[in-house]
Amino acid sequence: MSDFAVEARQLIKKFPARPGTGDKPIEGGSASSPKKKRWQFWKKEPKAMFTAVNGVDLQIQRGEIFGLLGPNGAGKSTTIRMLCTLLEPTSGTAHVNGYDIVRQANDVRRSLGTVLAGERSIYWKLTGRENLEYFAALYHIPTAVAKKRVDELIERMELKDRANELVEKYSTGMRQRVAIAKALLARPPILLLDEPTLGLDPQAARRLRELIAELKQEGHTILLTTHYMEEADQLSDRIGIIDTGRIIALDTPEGLKRRINQKEIIRLEVSGWQEYIAENLRAMQEVENLVARRQAETDLWEVNMQASNSRAVLPRLVESISQNGTRLVNMNIVKPSLEDVFIHLTGKALRD
Amino acid sequence: METTITPRSLGQPGFASDARAFMAVIRREWTIFTRYPSWIIALLIWPLIFPMLYILTARALAGPDGSGLAVFMQTTGATDYIGYIIVGTTVWMWQNIVLWDVGFALRNEQMRGTLESNWLSPTWRFSYLLGHTGPQIVSMFMFIAITALEFGLIFGVRLNGSVWMLALMMLAAIPSIYGLGFAFASLVITLKEANAFVFLVRGLVMIFCGITFPVAILPGWMQSFSKWLPQTYLIHGMRAAAFSNASVTELLPDLIPLLGFGTFWLVLGYFTFLWMERRARKTGAIGQY
Repeated sequence: MSDFAVEARQLIKKFPARPGTGDKPIEGGSASSPKKKRWQFWKKEPKAMFTAVNGVDLQIQRGEIFGLLGPNGAGKSTTIRMLCTLLEPTSGTAHVNGYDIVRQANDVRRSLGTVLAGERSIYWKLTGRENLEYFAALYHIPTAVAKKRVDELIERMELKDRANELVEKYSTGMRQRVAIAKALLARPPILLLDEPTLGLDPQAARRLRELIAELKQEGHTILLTTHYMEEADQLSDRIGIIDTGRIIALDTPEGLKRRINQKEIIRLEVSGWQEYIAENLRAMQEVENLVARRQAETDLWEVNMQASNSRAVLPRLVESISQNGTRLVNMNIVKPSLEDVFIHLTGKALRD
Repeated sequence: METTITPRSLGQPGFASDARAFMAVIRREWTIFTRYPSWIIALLIWPLIFPMLYILTARALAGPDGSGLAVFMQTTGATDYIGYIIVGTTVWMWQNIVLWDVGFALRNEQMRGTLESNWLSPTWRFSYLLGHTGPQIVSMFMFIAITALEFGLIFGVRLNGSVWMLALMMLAAIPSIYGLGFAFASLVITLKEANAFVFLVRGLVMIFCGITFPVAILPGWMQSFSKWLPQTYLIHGMRAAAFSNASVTELLPDLIPLLGFGTFWLVLGYFTFLWMERRARKTGAIGQY
């Protein structure tokens, strides 16, 4: 058996691109070439391709929680979909529980419990119990074992009182618990959880994070994708930061944060923010990776930046901001978070 | 160093497990079907509405004294013009419902978001489509039985043949009708929308298979084309079994081509499914709505 629960080498996935969105201009000469126009009548042009995953290398140890952190469209879900055999890579190889994801796809499926993003992975016109019994049969669990396992999971997911009600009457959190119970049915050694807390209320999300930690204690290997930094930070043994289809950093949460330890993070809250102020601040030599975003709930702007010596730059910062009706409302110098690491690496915020 | 014990999967692969999974798909489909109560109304009303259109047209064209009906029966060789029409329209409705129901089975799962979660399991993937067909066949046979019952009670249509021969004809038609449905279901996943194809197929059945008239009245080229449609043999064979008391030997000219077409369409349906499944893994079509 392989030492790694999940191992991927140079995994690449390309999709045919929508017009105007491909990686490169279509090959075959310039559009104005008369020769090309004649060819178009009877010869198909090569398709423009969009690269969703661009050479991902991963080695996930057995029993660890590995967080794949990145913004929407970074390639997290495509990576997960390749690992769980829903998608075939364009090139590269990957093994799950020692099985090749292309040539031994059924063995891979037997080794995995997967929760894909979104709550519609179960049947709303069946009860929670009926859903679990159905999927237990699909995962080839013998009937007697399945009955016990379904009862056990209903109990564990705190669904006992509502197990015989139709899923359409459940809350989002309850549906997510059924989806997770479904992934756990066959007691697979490896769990792939794609944005498991997306859309959950804070309490349900906290309960789910506790459950993920418990599952690690039981020996499951967990690959977790998320764009919530706190979640990745709290749960993961190691984190891979993915952006534009590439893993741009891979380390423990502490290791990642140490990378920018020599920097200080200045966090400002500003009212009446103007884009030209951002340009002025970026022009300061000491300021790096400035990101400003509007806070929907307060109508203020949160402005984050990294600086090697905040004391030297603060007076000029305050002076630059406080003009033409723009006001500094709050200011903090904080320890770097994973989001700051992400900004440091990519120059943009995780939720951009 | 801390050691962790890797959990062992509870799944046990094998033929029995795949058979159990297949039965679970059938059970799931039946349970969901019965949870939409409107199916009872559809099952009672639809068998009457569509044939009525043709029956009333026939009465109107027959003239005030109904003499046209005698000419119609002479042309068709039928003893009961209502029974003649019912057989044709029922076969048309059967194919139509299969195209909408089995043909859109995977697409509906895709839109519900459940197709991927089924696809993630180690079960033989064709069983999702095959399992969907089981309850569909049962509901279709109920539909045909209700048609016979309603027209028997309201219009006095009587079976003048063996119910077993009639059942034999219908069973022989299952591979071709559902094989076409399988091929169609796989194409719909790829194309996302295929209403035009449904309209084309049911239009062909309506015009070329003689649902309310004998194929013999069609021009020569149309008659030649009708021989390539299995529904032509099904309609002809069902009429012979229901109203002419035909024996198995007499039904063989319809049964043999029907089974031949059935083999062709089942094989084509299966290979289209495999092609779609392979293509979906390359393009991600399963997860795209």
